[in-house]
Amino acid sequence: MSHPVTTNPLIIMLINMTVVFLVLTVLGLIINLIHIIDPTKPKQEKQEEAAPAEPAAASVESVPAAETAGAEEGISPEVVAVIAAAIASYGYGIEQVRAIRPLPRDAWKNSGRAQMANRG
Amino acid sequence: MELLNAFAVSLQSVWADSGFSAFTVGNGIMILVGLLLLYMAIVKEFEPLLLGPIAFGCVLANFPRTGFFTEPGLMQAIHYGIANEIFPPLIFLGIGAMTDFGPLLARPVTLLLGAAAQIGVFVALIGAMLLGFNVQEAGAIGIIGGADGPTAIYLSIQMAPHLLGAIAVAAYSYMSLVPLIQPPIMKLLTSQKEREVAMEQLRPVTKFERVCFPIVAAIVISLLLPPIASLLGCLMLGNLFRESGVMDRLSDTAQNSLCNIVTIFLATGTGMTMNADDFLVPQTLMIIGLGLVAFIAGTAGGVLFGKIMCRVSGWKINPLIGSAGVSAVPMAARVSQVVGMKAKPGNYLLMHAMGPNVAGVIGTAVAAGTMLAMLK
Repeated sequence: MSHPVTTNPLIIMLINMTVVFLVLTVLGLIINLIHIIDPTKPKQEKQEEAAPAEPAAASVESVPAAETAGAEEGISPEVVAVIAAAIASYGYGIEQVRAIRPLPRDAWKNSGRAQMANRG
Repeated sequence: MELLNAFAVSLQSVWADSGFSAFTVGNGIMILVGLLLLYMAIVKEFEPLLLGPIAFGCVLANFPRTGFFTEPGLMQAIHYGIANEIFPPLIFLGIGAMTDFGPLLARPVTLLLGAAAQIGVFVALIGAMLLGFNVQEAGAIGIIGGADGPTAIYLSIQMAPHLLGAIAVAAYSYMSLVPLIQPPIMKLLTSQKEREVAMEQLRPVTKFERVCFPIVAAIVISLLLPPIASLLGCLMLGNLFRESGVMDRLSDTAQNSLCNIVTIFLATGTGMTMNADDFLVPQTLMIIGLGLVAFIAGTAGGVLFGKIMCRVSGWKINPLIGSAGVSAVPMAARVSQVVGMKAKPGNYLLMHAMGPNVAGVIGTAVAAGTMLAMLK
C-alpha cells in the first residue's frame, strides 16, 4: 500500500467533494450535450428551444382566455384544453391553432354511417 | 474393558475434533448476533434479501474448525470473489440493468444533489479519524454514508479489509432504516412551504439519450477515475443492456438471475467475515455509531443543497428530493415521496427524487474512486 497523499481530514473532504461535484457537473454537461445533438428529438422540443410553448399537459385552468378566443361559443374550456393537449402531443403549440369549431352534424352522421356500412 | 477403552478414546477424539472443544464465548455472542440479524431480516423484514444471508454467514463464520478459509471449497471461492472485488461490480451490473436513468437525463441539474449528499461520507471520515482510526480505515468507514452496499464493500476490501464485516453490516442496516432515519431530518430542515413545492412534469427522454448516456458516462468516468472503472463500467453496461432494446435477454439475466446469485454469494461471504476475533472489538460499536452520523449528515447535506436549488430555481425544486442523494435506490426516493405527500397530498415527488437517487450511486462511486486514488 503506497502512502496517502494527505492525512488531513479537512483537506481530504475538500478535495473529494470538489472532485465529486466536478465529475457530476461534467456528467450533467454531457447529458445536456447528448440532448442538444439528439437527432431524434421530438419536433416540439426543437420549437421550445426557440420559443417556449405551452406545456403538453395543460390543465383546464391554465388555458388562458386569449387561447380560447378562437373557439366558437358553446365549446367549453375543457374541450379546448383536451384539443390543445392532443395537438401538443404531436409537437405543435396551441398558438398555431386559429379556430376551433364543430363540423356540421351531418358530416359526423355520414361518417358514422360510412363506418357502419364498411363494417357490414 | 478393551471395548470401553476404545469407546472412550473414540469419544474423546470426536470431542477433540468437534467445534465444541474450540468454541469460545465470543463465538457464542456472534452466533446470537447472527440470530438477532436473522430475526430482523425475517420478522421485521429489514432488507431481508441482504440481511438474511449476511446473518446466516455470521452464524456459519463462528463455528470453529470448519476450515472455510483454509481449505479449498465453496466458502473459499466466495471469499475469493469478495477479496478480489469480483462481486461488487457484478451487483452493479444488475443495478444498472434495473435502473431507469430517465429522470436524471430529463433534469441533469439533480446530479448536484447526489454530489451534495456525499458530505456525509466525509463527516464520518473526520469523525473516524478523531476516534483514532487511520486514514484508510476512516475512508472505508465514511463510505457507509454513501448508503451503497456494494461500493462500501468494494472500498473496505481495498482500504480496510479487517473492518469489512462491521462496515457492511452498518451500511445495510442503515439502508434498511432509511425510512426511519431520514424523515425527521427532512422535516427539521425544511419549512411547510418548501415541502409543498410542486415540481413540473419531467420532459420525455428519447431512446437516443438513454443509449448514449451509459456509453459516454462509462468512457468519461473510467478515464477520470480508473480505480472505479470496473464498478461504474458494469453499472453502465447493465444500463446499456436495458436501454438498447436489443439485449433483453442479457438485461433480464443481469437484473434477475445473475444479480440474485451474486447477492447470495456477496451477502453470505460478507457475513462470514463477522467472526468473533474481528467483530467483537470496540471499533465495531464506533463504526456503527459513525455510520449513523454519516447517514444523518448525508441526508442533511442533500436537503440543505436542495433548499439552495429551490431558491435558485425560483421555487421549482422541492428540497425534499435532496435527501434521495444518499443512494439507497429506490428507498430514499420513496421516502422523499412519502414526506412530500404528507406535506401536500397529490404532490408526487417519486420520479423527481429518482434523479438525485441514481446520481447518489454515481456520486458515491466517484467519492470511493477519489479516496482510492488519494489514500490507498
